[in-house]
Amino acid sequence: MIVAGVDVGSLSGETVILRDDEILSYSIVRTGADSALTAKKATDEALKNANISFEDIEYTIATGYGRVIVPFANENITEISCHAKGANYLFPTVRTILDMGGQDCKAIRCNETGKVTNFAMNDKCAAGTGRFCEVMADVLGIPLEDIGKTSLEAKKDAMISSACAVFAKSEAVSLLRSGVPKSEILSGVHEAIASRVFALLQRVGIEGDFVISGGIGKNIGVIKKVTEKVGLKPLMSEEPQIVGALGAALFAKERYKKG
Amino acid sequence: MTSLEELSEISKTIANPAVDKWKAQGKPIVGFFCSYIPEEILHAAGIFPYRIKAKGCTNTPAADAFLAPVNCSFVRSCLELALEGSYGFLDGVVSMNSCEHIRRLYDIWKRKVKTPYSHFLCVPHKTDEEAVNWYRDELAIFKAGLEKAFGVSITEESIRNSIAVHNETRDLLRKVYELRQRETPLLTGKEAHEIVVAAMATPKEDYNRLLKGLLEEVGKREGISAHGPRLMVMGSVIDDPDYIGIIEDMGCLVVTDALCFGSRYFWEPVKTNGDLMECLARSYLKRPVCPRMSEDIGQIVTYTKEMVEKFNIDGVIMERIRCCDLWGGTTLILQKRLDERNIPLLVVDREYMTSGAGQMSTRVGAFLEMIGRG
Repeated sequence: MIVAGVDVGSLSGETVILRDDEILSYSIVRTGADSALTAKKATDEALKNANISFEDIEYTIATGYGRVIVPFANENITEISCHAKGANYLFPTVRTILDMGGQDCKAIRCNETGKVTNFAMNDKCAAGTGRFCEVMADVLGIPLEDIGKTSLEAKKDAMISSACAVFAKSEAVSLLRSGVPKSEILSGVHEAIASRVFALLQRVGIEGDFVISGGIGKNIGVIKKVTEKVGLKPLMSEEPQIVGALGAALFAKERYKKG
Repeated sequence: MTSLEELSEISKTIANPAVDKWKAQGKPIVGFFCSYIPEEILHAAGIFPYRIKAKGCTNTPAADAFLAPVNCSFVRSCLELALEGSYGFLDGVVSMNSCEHIRRLYDIWKRKVKTPYSHFLCVPHKTDEEAVNWYRDELAIFKAGLEKAFGVSITEESIRNSIAVHNETRDLLRKVYELRQRETPLLTGKEAHEIVVAAMATPKEDYNRLLKGLLEEVGKREGISAHGPRLMVMGSVIDDPDYIGIIEDMGCLVVTDALCFGSRYFWEPVKTNGDLMECLARSYLKRPVCPRMSEDIGQIVTYTKEMVEKFNIDGVIMERIRCCDLWGGTTLILQKRLDERNIPLLVVDREYMTSGAGQMSTRVGAFLEMIGRG
């Protein structure tokens, strides 16, 4: 049985293709203005990687911000349930998930089957999200994928007092002008993000094991700061960005079986 | 037009045909800000009491100039509409110390909107007999002021009649809610909310007539059978039925609430045993509470629990408008108490306007997935 999960987020789209219990292929693409097109692009790429055709997919579930506008999906499920499901597949012992996505951030609690038992989401605010990191990377002129590594070179954190993405950006600019090393500014930015997501985690309560999913999971600077605050070492998958799509694909498998 | 359609129309706008009709007869309308203000006294003075709401407000550039960033988006939106002139039909406003946001709204309203008559009621934060006496005196001052301002005399007889009219409204609305108690409810939550919102925007005699028609019409309906989980909504003020619609669009049915534009408005009748002004004071103070009452958090929990049992609720949505300190504080206690009873609770922060519908859908969707199958 071949099924697919498609996660259309605000900044990226992912597709995971499963054959029974095994991940056949996955893809990550940048989200365009058209969510339906993003879903198709991601799915086409995953199909190519798996060397199969669209007709081979028996059931598809869409998730994420654009989940309702994926024309070829059989059903849609919120990304909150999907992240818990995906994380549970990768790490059956997980009870707390922090998903740091492009434009929002979620703290999720789940039980041993991967079913959500509680969750909290940030509101209308880019702090602690992928977009926030992008803005900072841009201000400092460092490629996004390098900001985590760069921040680790800092001897101390520059003080970023505002967790607001807009204000933090101007703070970063003025720090840069006054000669503060980029590594220290980034370290300060990561500290601000970590404080923000830690507050979110406290709302649902933290219990081990702890997993971080979503694109920010690739930023080792943030991971380090969150680890320090939470006091638990997060389990990380090789590709944290596809956890939501993976969860959607797992739901697709279940729903297809139930008929 | 059916009664339900007529009530639904009334709930959609600020001025409505009932307002126009009343004004055409040269009779006064007074706006009020909170469900703790006894409409009966206004009604007994021949005034149409109209509850101030903010339906239809999409942006608040004018109000932003007067309010601090910490004031909630509900009062901000009300003020915006008033500054735009949407409340030009009012001959007066009555406000009270519901919360600091409403107080600030009143200050600015008085100076910038310039509605001819205005009065501020000091409502106690307690519900004991001493508070009842205090509130009775406050109501007497309010009554005397109204008589002077509008050149009328409010007799005991007219108060008695007004209480009877309003108690009939309460009784009819309870019957409407009973239709939602069934296994296959006869009304959606959005429809029921439209009905209650219209209660505060229609002269009561007309409204009671509409409600009787509605009960007859809706009684013939088939119940809603495939409706998903049964939810209860509570928290900060909701005067916009579309908000309930957004929740129900995710595949559930809102069957009851603890809202002030909802069950808390009409749940208990005014008992008329003794001095009528004292009866009003007592009934209004002791009605199912808003967290503005400082001593009765336990009652909110009890009321919620009773609703959950009576309406066979699968989950509770507790929404708080950002900066609503009253519901913000209550949430923590409520969360703990509902947890102990294994009643699933979704807490959502929101702004007054429905522009955050996408985020709301995701939260409600995830909540339904959490309490549902899988």
